[in-house]
Amino acid sequence: MSKTWYGDLPKYYQRQIAALGLDEAGMTRRRLMKSAAAAAGVAAFGGSIGHARAATQMQYMCWEGYNDARIIDPFNQANDTDISFDLIVDSPGGFAKLQAGASREVDLVSSDMPWVTRMGPAGLALELNPDDYADVYATFYDQFKPPFEPLLHDGKTIGVATRWGWVGACINTDVSKEEDWKSYDPVFDAKNKDKICVMDWGDWPILPMALHAGINPYEELDDAALEEVRKVLRAMFKNTRTLVADLTQAQKGLLDGSLLGCIGAGSYLTSAVRKQGHKNIIARVPDPRNGLKQGIIWVEATAIVKETDQPELAQKLLKHVVSKESGHILSLLDTTCNVVTNKGVEQLYSDEEKSILEVDYMWHAYDNSEMHRIAPNIDDMLAIWQEELAAAQ
Amino acid sequence: MIGEGEPKGWRQPELWAKALPSVALQTLFFLAPLLMTVLLTFQETRSFMLQWAWSLKTWSDIFSRPHYWTILWHTLWMSALCVALCVLISLPVAYALATRLQSMSGHVKVLITFAFLTDATLKTFGWVLFLDQKGAANFLLERIGFPPAMIGFLYTDWATLLGMVYNLLAFTIFTIYLSIANIDRSLILAAYDAGASKWRAFWEVTLPLSRPGIWTGSVLVFLLSVGVFLEPKVLGGGKSPMSAELIRQTFETRVNWPLGAALTIVLMVTAVFVILLFNRVYSLRRHGAAA
Repeated sequence: MSKTWYGDLPKYYQRQIAALGLDEAGMTRRRLMKSAAAAAGVAAFGGSIGHARAATQMQYMCWEGYNDARIIDPFNQANDTDISFDLIVDSPGGFAKLQAGASREVDLVSSDMPWVTRMGPAGLALELNPDDYADVYATFYDQFKPPFEPLLHDGKTIGVATRWGWVGACINTDVSKEEDWKSYDPVFDAKNKDKICVMDWGDWPILPMALHAGINPYEELDDAALEEVRKVLRAMFKNTRTLVADLTQAQKGLLDGSLLGCIGAGSYLTSAVRKQGHKNIIARVPDPRNGLKQGIIWVEATAIVKETDQPELAQKLLKHVVSKESGHILSLLDTTCNVVTNKGVEQLYSDEEKSILEVDYMWHAYDNSEMHRIAPNIDDMLAIWQEELAAAQ
Repeated sequence: MIGEGEPKGWRQPELWAKALPSVALQTLFFLAPLLMTVLLTFQETRSFMLQWAWSLKTWSDIFSRPHYWTILWHTLWMSALCVALCVLISLPVAYALATRLQSMSGHVKVLITFAFLTDATLKTFGWVLFLDQKGAANFLLERIGFPPAMIGFLYTDWATLLGMVYNLLAFTIFTIYLSIANIDRSLILAAYDAGASKWRAFWEVTLPLSRPGIWTGSVLVFLLSVGVFLEPKVLGGGKSPMSAELIRQTFETRVNWPLGAALTIVLMVTAVFVILLFNRVYSLRRHGAAA
């Protein structure tokens, strides 16, 4: 006998559900939750607002920007959906939330690529058939077309790449020469004591410093390699003025010159300031060193949650998010501006928009960067980060 | 029915009935989550996923790595400093409000309450704008002839402490104020009649009688201090993390829930232990004084 969706409820409620015929209505926990959320929404507005009820409720876990009304409203209108958002402020947090049970409510996820890839082994993502997305991939830059290895798990595609950029040194050319940042050496130069900003964004500042130390963080690391990571982080903290988690705080410091350079960020940090006219704020990828590229390419990807009850609509929404029109909006937001994987969007950029996004520089950055993916020893490196930070007190 | 003056025992069903809602609420919303947190500490993670396998790995990790204890010690030290500063600042303020500025005390209390109710994030970032190298404070000092960037303590522990004291001061001001306001004025007048100076009367009468307020405010500020993460991150520049930030990092960045839960338990137990210890010392001193 198969287990019903309401089998865990007390007998009284089971009888009520059966009496109401809800047991035959294909009701699922997901649908019940969504109906409850919709009912709560109607109750909150007193039912006085004359919206027609959308046929399908969907939930989208994403970074801010993907929820832009200019992207979502046309989809809602065309598909009679009502998409609610679960905005994430950090990718690990979003992943943890999915693991904790949010996967039962969420249909689509747009997050940092390694965390989307991790949804594969965690059993959270619906494996995608690249043939179903042939029309999407046809518009992509070659670099992100399948088989796109960083988004594969056991040879299966977990998600589709959406937005990308590079991590390097963020500097203000009015106070620091671009030529000085051909390497990360200024981070360790004693004359820059208390002038370096390190982004407090999990693994992001650790990975470029490991590359600078001659360690490839995307390979399995032994104790000796981890010791090198420890040494480079210790040296970095000596010159660090501040660890910053807030984007605007770092942007302000770069603009007023109180911070010479920011480590652990890149185009994600500089582009919004450039959009406001500060073209002196740039993100530069250092030259290769010790046989290792020094920049890192970050990619955001979108995946369909395995437990979705709307796989077709979720696929449609995924395709909509990576479309040319959505991509243009997504790449030029107020909070951050970044290039997207859809090649067609480039034709829509004005010269000013290309300058904001540093389109002329992006392939140089790409060619001199490692592709960000799951770093096998990231937890060891994060533990070292905590230890060295405590020791630096 | 339990009559007035009758001894109350746990065998009386009415007492049970009265206590039940409170016990149920405490069990459901405090003890059960706490128990879950404790159980979580005996699990493991693999590839950022929780493994329901009983293990002591997390606890052995905590007791074998000194940096957790360095950060905990730093947290306790900063919290103790914050409590001391809050009490030192609040005492004269509360005393003035209760005795000297009675006509204006309503307005002052409203102002303190407004400042207290203003979002802590807003206030903390406000301090950054004020204290920054290129901020308002240095700009004003430079305009009146001081050298540039004279105030340079942003992104230090001092800035963290400033933020903590600023955000938590209201707790000690109001608890001490209530204590002082409730002191029987005739006791102070009696001290004057007995020849005590103003300082002596304050030291011998007002201060001992305002101890409950000082103690309550100190406990509140201490408990809130051990949990701060905004001030060390924003004003302290994140270079001297406190326990709450370590816990956040462990839960969110490392996605290591058992370790995060264990660090939470360590912080809770330590904070409660410190309070019980001081409570004991306070009781002993009070009984000593009474004897």
